[in-house]
Amino acid sequence: MKTEAHTILPFPCESSSASRRALRKGFLATLRISGRPVIVDLSDCSTLNHDDIDLLLDCVAHATGRDTELLLVAGSRVNRVLLEVTRISTVVPVFNSVEEAVAHPNSVKSAKEQIAPPPIATENAEDQRTSQFQGLWSA
Amino acid sequence: MPNGFRVVQKGQCTVELGAVVVVPGGRDLGAIQGTQFCARQASENSRPLYSSRLPILGNDVLQSWIERVRKLGLQNLWLISPTDENAIWSRLRGFAQQGVERLLMITLKSYAEMDLADLLRFHHETRNPVTEALDAQGQLGVRLLDHRAFHGTCENNESFRVPDNGGQTPYQFRGYAKRILSAKERQELVGDALTGACAMRPFGKQIREQVWIGEGAQLADSVRVIGPTYIGARTVVRAGATIGPFASVEHDCVVDCGTIVERSTVLPYTYLAPGLLIRHGLVDGGRLEDLSWETVVDLQPTGLGSRIRRGESRRKTFRENDNSSRTGGAFVWGSRPSSGAPQPWMQVQL
Repeated sequence: MKTEAHTILPFPCESSSASRRALRKGFLATLRISGRPVIVDLSDCSTLNHDDIDLLLDCVAHATGRDTELLLVAGSRVNRVLLEVTRISTVVPVFNSVEEAVAHPNSVKSAKEQIAPPPIATENAEDQRTSQFQGLWSA
Repeated sequence: MPNGFRVVQKGQCTVELGAVVVVPGGRDLGAIQGTQFCARQASENSRPLYSSRLPILGNDVLQSWIERVRKLGLQNLWLISPTDENAIWSRLRGFAQQGVERLLMITLKSYAEMDLADLLRFHHETRNPVTEALDAQGQLGVRLLDHRAFHGTCENNESFRVPDNGGQTPYQFRGYAKRILSAKERQELVGDALTGACAMRPFGKQIREQVWIGEGAQLADSVRVIGPTYIGARTVVRAGATIGPFASVEHDCVVDCGTIVERSTVLPYTYLAPGLLIRHGLVDGGRLEDLSWETVVDLQPTGLGSRIRRGESRRKTFRENDNSSRTGGAFVWGSRPSSGAPQPWMQVQL
């Protein structure tokens, strides 16, 4: 699912090992090509098992390596605690709802950065910084 | 003459004061003998996460109450487990038949630095049939019952019910008290004991300021211990882990590499996986009660935490040593019937 500025990935509650492999592939591909902040929504999953945490850690590693903005929606207190215990929440922002995640300033800023037109190349470094600034806010 | 109570001869045999400690949670009290902390049983109960018998910085709250009862001059007390209310009923009827004048009844749900002699004085002065000890937050689980209160219950053959004080003047306790069945207050008690804000002291060797380590604990060289902190006997803390501040890792735990335990308690026989952050929580085997989010999480399916199976001999050796070192052998546990049936009550010699 895509909003104007985000890609939202619902996290399924239970899945077989085959479907989990497909899910992992799909998640990592989305993180690779999305070009906009990705929100992984755990709302359908009341609690997480070790496979779920493995997958989330893969996503975090993948997003960090590519400078892709990743946001998590915990969906429940139990998930929130598990994300804290595994320290995922120290590297990825965690929210209670998709609405909160979409409204998060960093995610909005990141989305604007993603859709901003590339700066006009000039020979003057000062001019270049100015055009980047204008590009950011013109989105 | 009834066994083990202070006896006053007044023509006929009467007992001035008897004492009963009720251990909540329906436990086989025989199993407590020698091995006080049954984490296995605690893990099988969904609520509470832990029993009143689980250690706090290596201390047993039951023993602290036993010490206080002993100071009253009593020679023994009864431990009762309320699995079956008939057990309490039959015990109370026994006290009534023995002519017990007053009964001190302590329900093991709080740690309170209470002078029981002062409670007795208050009870005498007010002449209440029942005197309930309260603090600002309510009942502490300590009651004095006059013979009028519990003899009547026995004679009427009513089903067992602890008589309330019927709106009479309660004993207002203004000293230090915490409810040990509440994870939050338990953690507060840990913090207070570690910083000397209450009389309880960690049971271990103090290796530096506000850091105590139990016998046989193994800490890797790279472990960071930030006081105030307690690490219990035979606990293993692996490389890169951080324990503290305000942490209590009780005996026979394993904290794996890189895990941080901060402002939390880890109950006995708990394994914590590598790289975790345990903050403001209480972990008992595979279950975590998070105090910030006020929620209980099952760590077992995630593989982040689990219960360590323990060797019978190891457990026995530790608790027996622990008992004798604390009390100097001053009290002994009562004998247990030879049948394998769960024992709902037992007598403790003081």
